Amino acid sequence: MGYDPENPMADRITDVGPPHYSKFHPPVIAKNKGKWLWHEITQPGVLVHKAESGDECWTVRVGAARLISIELIREMCDVADAHCDGYLRFTTRNNVEFMVDSKDKVQPLLDDLASRGNKFPVGGTGAGVTNIVHTQGWVHCHTPATDASGVVKAVMDELFDYFVTMSLPAQVRIALACCLNMCGAVHASDIAILGVHRKPPMIDHSRITGVCELPLAISACPLGAVKPAKAEVNGEEIKTVKVNNDRCMFCGNCYTMCPAMPLADPDGDGIAILVGGKVSNSRSAPKFSKLVIPFLPNTPPRWPETVEAVKNILEVYAGDAKKYERIGEWAERIGWEKFFEKCNIPFTIKSVDDYRLAYDTWRTTTQFKYTSHIK
Amino acid sequence: MGMSDDEIKAAIIEKAKKSPKPQLYIKDFYKCDPDTKPRKIKNLANALVREGELMFWSSGSTTMYARPDRIKNEEGDEGIN
Amino acid sequence: MAKHDTPMLDELEKGPWPSFVSDIKRQAEKNPDCWDILGQLELSYRDKITHWKHGGIVGVFGYGGGIVGRYSDVPKQFPGVEHFHTVRVNQPASKYYSTENLRALMDLWEKHGSGMTNMHGSTGDIVLLGCRTEALEPFFWDLTHELGQDLGGSGSNLRTPANCLGQSRCEWSCFDTEEACHHLTMHYQDEIHRPAFPYKFKFKFSGCPNDCVAALARSDFAVIGNWKDDIRIDQAAVKEYVAGNIPSNGGAHSGRDWGAFDIKKEVLDLCPTECMWMEGDELKIDNSECTRCMHCINVMPRALRPGKVQGASINIGAKAPILDGAQFATLIIPFIEVTAENEFENVIEVIENIWDWWMEVGKNRERVGETMQRVGLPTFIKVMGLDPIPQHVREPRSNPYVFWQEEEVPGGFDRDVEEFRKRHAA
Repeated sequence: MGYDPENPMADRITDVGPPHYSKFHPPVIAKNKGKWLWHEITQPGVLVHKAESGDECWTVRVGAARLISIELIREMCDVADAHCDGYLRFTTRNNVEFMVDSKDKVQPLLDDLASRGNKFPVGGTGAGVTNIVHTQGWVHCHTPATDASGVVKAVMDELFDYFVTMSLPAQVRIALACCLNMCGAVHASDIAILGVHRKPPMIDHSRITGVCELPLAISACPLGAVKPAKAEVNGEEIKTVKVNNDRCMFCGNCYTMCPAMPLADPDGDGIAILVGGKVSNSRSAPKFSKLVIPFLPNTPPRWPETVEAVKNILEVYAGDAKKYERIGEWAERIGWEKFFEKCNIPFTIKSVDDYRLAYDTWRTTTQFKYTSHIK
Repeated sequence: MGMSDDEIKAAIIEKAKKSPKPQLYIKDFYKCDPDTKPRKIKNLANALVREGELMFWSSGSTTMYARPDRIKNEEGDEGIN
Repeated sequence: MAKHDTPMLDELEKGPWPSFVSDIKRQAEKNPDCWDILGQLELSYRDKITHWKHGGIVGVFGYGGGIVGRYSDVPKQFPGVEHFHTVRVNQPASKYYSTENLRALMDLWEKHGSGMTNMHGSTGDIVLLGCRTEALEPFFWDLTHELGQDLGGSGSNLRTPANCLGQSRCEWSCFDTEEACHHLTMHYQDEIHRPAFPYKFKFKFSGCPNDCVAALARSDFAVIGNWKDDIRIDQAAVKEYVAGNIPSNGGAHSGRDWGAFDIKKEVLDLCPTECMWMEGDELKIDNSECTRCMHCINVMPRALRPGKVQGASINIGAKAPILDGAQFATLIIPFIEVTAENEFENVIEVIENIWDWWMEVGKNRERVGETMQRVGLPTFIKVMGLDPIPQHVREPRSNPYVFWQEEEVPGGFDRDVEEFRKRHAA
């Protein structure tokens, strides 16, 4: 049995989809689904959910890297086998949740997790910083402008205390996407760390004929900056493209469609910081993150400039915002001019929108605050 | 009255053979029979992949169709599908 | 024994947060190919640039999605990662696992791939990182035959749907998110595995307006739990909150002394519609003014619960900024019942309405939200066969440039200029 390369279509199974979720519910979940009454976070990383039946589900949430090995996952399974009847779950933010059905099973679980070094930090709940969702970066992507796993590790090391406590005015969701494609869709995060390119694509005329359909590359550009052109390769005229550098916004969409147009660059690439987004509809409507720092250099292995920038914004917010206020709500209440002043972030022309729909962000009132920006 | 399934399939293959660009979007096949719903044309194009007449070409974010003998692979590998 | 010197990456083994570098080293002891992941990544750290090449054509036969090709641009130095394709495995709804299932999947990945994973990718899939082209078909054979599991979506397909854990462990969920997600995933297997659309299309299911899977920010088709009737109040629990006997916000703020709980300051005054007040020690809500933002419920989960007439709102057209700028999903259907009893037939009808239109009108590589922008919301509302309602907009338009249709204007557009001139000299 097994795959037979001589006869690949024999007994082929397709379109079976994922297994039914009900096979994986811990017993206390299966029994009380749809009949939960309330929940409470009893300590950072520990939640209790109370059901109409009187049953309780105690959840211990631990942080994990997004890039993890099967050896580590097997260790998670060991923990779940020892304490949780052989069930566990993952959250949308790469945390792992271990569930037990009574309070007295929580401490042994916490002790077990703590005995395994720093692999299973308990936290990520309530008014704190939970795990950073992120993309692949230099570990596995062909278009990144920065690494992802390394930047996240450096930032989380610095913000670790905020992961294991709940001392902020509200939850703070941090996300990282390693290029403007934003696979990680960081555009609605309290703090977004975004890889950006700053040099237009190069054209590899010697390769373009072999690997690229020119019309696709041309139509890929949102600003019409890629045009048909001719070039000479080995004495022969070939059809190729040229890029109007003045119109390039460094999105890399052309490179996605045409491998002969690479744009990554050690000095050109780096990180932008956007803040004030939120997804929840609680109180105010969902908000986009706004660009406040247009560029920080790539400085592996620990990206000190990015770590410092994120920590600074977080701590100024923590000291100034009201209870329940998300970063974006705080910035809107005090005004963005005050945000820049309080955070001591220089305001640059790069934060003034000149792309599509830009007018929405221009200020059309006489209401403003006098900050140091007005000379 | 639209074309029969076999007629549409033949038109799709013809289009994939003759088109100046080897990779085609699914939309490019809609014109093979404007009277047939796009979802049906999609199903027929996907049937042709199963039959080996077409293959998928993907950039990761976008998937296109091509005749297997017209496709270039940067790596020089045999395309699997 | 380490195969390459990785002084920069070794720095990332320090610090309190779990280290992916230590973890890759752990895996490398089992599978030496993983040393080359570290070696190539160290080179990227030195060069400050990626060393992965552009895609390439890989997949399993008959599927147009689920595998993303990846090749090293320095394969001679790092042969272990010469081919390093990504396999997306469709996750079970809500991301619960039995250890039995998870261990079996890990055994399979040990047999065919590098042993490194993402649990999970941004869209929700189990992402298995690093596999050679020739291992793809054998992996897929084992995945389907031994585990009865399947790949997720990529390319111009329906992407793997995802949901918040919903009613399985949350008291706020207004519909069964995991059943909706699973049912539609099964219903649309063809669309997940084979390209069907001008570009990607994503479904996400959140049980309440807190929107824990970011459906409104990230999905073309967002189903977000909502309710129609009154917020359920337990007045005895309200008194307990006011007396300070139950921690506010489910204990989420217990790490700092914010002072005694103040229901006026923390609940009534933060209500965006100001529809709550106290009468003595009773909490009153004018539910007809409530927009169900969840704030009061979040703050007092033991006293307040969503109403009993539950369903969902459907918002359409969210996407990340590429290319025209980021979009949130626009409210199209304020309230719809979402239930397995009719096999989600009414939701399916909405989905297929959109698809039939978008497949025809959408341009290549255009998300449905961009098509909506291009043709305008009025056209989209008409396509959906809906009556326009004020809930579709934040505010009415402020420009007067209405595209009147000829049949709306008495006498139509055709007029006789000579007749006109008889009465109006030029």
